[in-house]
Amino acid sequence: MADSPLFRRHPLASSVDLVRWLPSSTASPSGRLLAAAVHDPSLGSAGSSIHLFPLSDTTSPLASLPLPSRATALRSSPAALAAATSSGSLHLLPSSFECDAAVAVPGGAGFHVGPVRGLDCGGEEWVTAGEDGRVHVVGGGGDGRVVARRVWDGKGMSGYEAARWASPAEFATGGAGCGVQWWDRRKGDGVVAQCSGIWGRGIVTGMVHSIDINPSRKHICVVGGSSGTIFAWDLRWPQQPIPLSGVGLNGTTEPVCESEVWEVLFDPYTQSSDIITSASSKILPVMMCSEDGILAVVEQDERPLELLAEACAINSFDIDPQNPSDVVCALEWESIGVLSRGRDTMAEDDNC
Amino acid sequence: MPGMPTDGGGGGGAIVPFRGEPDQGTPSPPAVRPIRHGVAPPIFRVYISWSSGNLLQVACLRPPNSEGRGRSEEVAGSVVEVNLSCGGSGGAEVEEEIDEAEMRRIEYGSVPAFALLQSRKNALADAAAMSRLSSVPDYADWWQYVLEYSKAVGNLLGSPDSPLAFMIEDPKTILKVREKPTNLKAAWELLEIFYVDKQLQSWLPERLVDWLADFDSLLSGTESTVYSKLSNFQKKLINLQIIEDDPDYWNGLSAALSVGWLDIVVNMLRFHGSYQLDQMDNRETENGLVEAVAVLVSTMPRLRPNLPTGKLGQCCKTRPDFVKAWEKWRGQVTKLECSAFWIQCGHQKTRDGLKTLLHIMMGNIKELTASTSHWLELFASHFLYIRPFTVGFEGMHHLAQKCIQLKPSSGTNGLTGLVIGVLSENPEVVLAECTKNFGPWLVTHAMELLTADNDYADTMLHEERPNLGGISIDELHRLVYAQVLCSHSLTWQIAPTYLSSCLNQGLGLLEILLLKQPIQDNRLVLKTLEICRLYELDDVSTNIMKIAGIYHWKHGRKGAGVYWFQQAHDKVRLDRIAQQLFERIGKSVTDDSFKQWEGLLELLGPDIGSAGGLEFLHRYRDFKKSLQQALDGRSGEAARQTADFLIQLMRNPSTPQRFWLPLLHDSVELLNCKPRPLINVAETTLLLNKLQELSLAKLRPDFSNNHLPSHALSSVRLALASNLARAILEDP
Repeated sequence: MADSPLFRRHPLASSVDLVRWLPSSTASPSGRLLAAAVHDPSLGSAGSSIHLFPLSDTTSPLASLPLPSRATALRSSPAALAAATSSGSLHLLPSSFECDAAVAVPGGAGFHVGPVRGLDCGGEEWVTAGEDGRVHVVGGGGDGRVVARRVWDGKGMSGYEAARWASPAEFATGGAGCGVQWWDRRKGDGVVAQCSGIWGRGIVTGMVHSIDINPSRKHICVVGGSSGTIFAWDLRWPQQPIPLSGVGLNGTTEPVCESEVWEVLFDPYTQSSDIITSASSKILPVMMCSEDGILAVVEQDERPLELLAEACAINSFDIDPQNPSDVVCALEWESIGVLSRGRDTMAEDDNC
Repeated sequence: MPGMPTDGGGGGGAIVPFRGEPDQGTPSPPAVRPIRHGVAPPIFRVYISWSSGNLLQVACLRPPNSEGRGRSEEVAGSVVEVNLSCGGSGGAEVEEEIDEAEMRRIEYGSVPAFALLQSRKNALADAAAMSRLSSVPDYADWWQYVLEYSKAVGNLLGSPDSPLAFMIEDPKTILKVREKPTNLKAAWELLEIFYVDKQLQSWLPERLVDWLADFDSLLSGTESTVYSKLSNFQKKLINLQIIEDDPDYWNGLSAALSVGWLDIVVNMLRFHGSYQLDQMDNRETENGLVEAVAVLVSTMPRLRPNLPTGKLGQCCKTRPDFVKAWEKWRGQVTKLECSAFWIQCGHQKTRDGLKTLLHIMMGNIKELTASTSHWLELFASHFLYIRPFTVGFEGMHHLAQKCIQLKPSSGTNGLTGLVIGVLSENPEVVLAECTKNFGPWLVTHAMELLTADNDYADTMLHEERPNLGGISIDELHRLVYAQVLCSHSLTWQIAPTYLSSCLNQGLGLLEILLLKQPIQDNRLVLKTLEICRLYELDDVSTNIMKIAGIYHWKHGRKGAGVYWFQQAHDKVRLDRIAQQLFERIGKSVTDDSFKQWEGLLELLGPDIGSAGGLEFLHRYRDFKKSLQQALDGRSGEAARQTADFLIQLMRNPSTPQRFWLPLLHDSVELLNCKPRPLINVAETTLLLNKLQELSLAKLRPDFSNNHLPSHALSSVRLALASNLARAILEDP
């Protein structure tokens, strides 16, 4: 049970659904900041909120943004922190983190009905994709308000679970059964490419939980979803997804986990094992977290590198963009964990 | 469970009057909860059922068609959820002391330790069954596994030795500021001391003294204890000018010494006024005596292998060593007691106080009894100064009885009850005390401690009992604890660990638990399914997927519904869905609504075979698309292709009969297409045959109406006939 000095657990006394690093450009005196979506079922509808707190003291939030229902997506951008909820609303908190200045797009027939799990910031605009099958682009209306514009209404025929911008004009979505879809706003706001994915355990369609796109290679998506499946999708060969991990999939080494892969992110800290060829075709290393408590780095044709094997699910994680050796993760058992990779961070960590 | 309401006597709110059970002496008044259901009386029927956790669902219905009076806005019935979570049952004491979030932290943390111990136990049992040889060497080490488990769980409960935070200690602090000890931790340590740790057995009395030092503050909240004496004195200390004139100083000293808190005694002795520089000269002898007592206190021999840092005394590992040291030390104490210097000591209170301390060290039972407050303190002082070699439960129990007679305590405390239970070698009493005072968490986890090396307890707890429905006491308590976990939406996920260790009823309850989980949120469903996968409950997971599918389908998320049905391989429901879709499509033939279900077709993927009756939809979509193009563009090629699709559809046996007429009706314009007919004689004959078949089928009761205009059939017939005529003319 003893934790290694590189991994620390901080109990939060309520369920932690999502956790993100906040950009520390504001140079706050209390060090690096974290945002966590917490949920306390004993408080009913008042039990959901976003807490902002410094890494050094997780018990006392600096700010707390109440949400109408449980948070389903959380992203930070240099300008704002955005959270979407299971009742279909979107909340934007400006980077000053004054909760009075937060703006919201209420859920309902005019926006999303039901959980919004796909949320990402692409420069000025946010894309939201909900389980109701709707896709919106939310941007500033010029007068301080936010305006949501409907890109697509699937009328419940497809449900989205993930969304990610590739460029200001392109984004990718994924969901239950519909695989991954590539949208191009220059081509009439429509789906221009689609891939049902490559799933383990012999299932035809799985559920996509998370998509990441590497900013330096915008034509490659990495996708995490059902049954421990992680695959990469290269738009240049849209019919041939590249399996990275999965149960009973050819072409992958042993699966890193067998349960739901909740989140995937390209890991800038792990060096690709094959530097010479990595510029050409190989997929860069990807970090993932799963329902069976695994946090690992997966690479094409390599054995996965397991960073954590917890007794409970890891629901969400984030790599610090400024210091990619540090990873924060949300653990099912009402706590967050902070993992510091590399030796040079040890001395610094002892101070906080 | 339907229940008939009473007339309500005008109140309208009361539904069922509660009467106490006649055979119970004085029934406690029932808890009455008003429910705001918003349904106007008369209420016809009330349904009550358990929802997840502590939620009770109450459905109130009005009589159907009760003279509608045209007031359609009146609610016909409503379902309200009632939360019954307030008010603790067992373990109320624990709940007061540890808040809910902290208790959940303990519950989560104990899961890995519990699971590890269970898997070790199973592995040992398997190995024993396999080899059928004596696996004695393995079993001999079993207590060490249990000790490891016990330490892991104990750490979760807090470590009383660690200071709260880094702080500069005031030299005049008597009691160190520490994390507040909890009853739960005290009980756990007590069980560990007595039942698990074999290494401790030779110095059990000293271990008890340590335990008392950690948890003395918990013994009584109202009555005086050594701890309360000292903490009261601490408060007073700051205002005292001449400390040795205060009787509480000497009382505190003798109390601390009697329970063996040597470091505190020495520290307090140094507060004595004779140590002050300005008084040194004229109180030299007095100071010498104080210092001599302090030295004697700090060198007291103790029968134990080691001492934690900061504690005083000299350790003796073996009995002969101890006896030697003890006799020497006692000799020094006696010598000091008889010394001539006492006459020269001018301060009366110092003289008396120090003498009392010496008498305590010499084991004077009168002084010990006077300086201790609680019987457990007296009990510990006996070990220290009168009977350091006490071994065996029988002797201890006898001693405890004697101490209780001398110091009867009015209020019973869970911890003292536990101590008596342990000493009387009565696992039933221990279990009952745990259940009564410390809640289901402790009982469930402490079972392993009780049975670590106690055959009687092992049989008693693991024997299957018919009066418990064939389960053992051990299993019963695990089930109770699992129920507690299930009742909270954050902890239910760890309940399966405990349920799966219950061989008789655990799996059945686990299935019920999984099926009762909410299915509204896909992520939660996936979490539930993961548990099904871990315990290989494929049937349950299929059922959950079906339930989730129906929920999403009903709420308009058709894609999610179809996804779950596909995952569940539920061909029956997929076919039903296909029928429903047909109905929708059949209703709106002409509008472009197929854009809606196009997404669904994409979702089903290319492997349409798995989608059952939905295969038809793919073909139908192609037909509709083509027809649209043909009608818009009026290009000959598109019209030709549409006609091909039509013939293919009509030939295909999987095309439902109810679609024949709509298909033909859609194509009327196509049939009337000028200048050349698109369909030849043979094809037209096929279509006419189908139409004939349809007319016959119309007489059957299961024929479904397509919501087409009544003249549809005749207009199709006319179009086909004219097409046939033209085709015959065209036919070479």
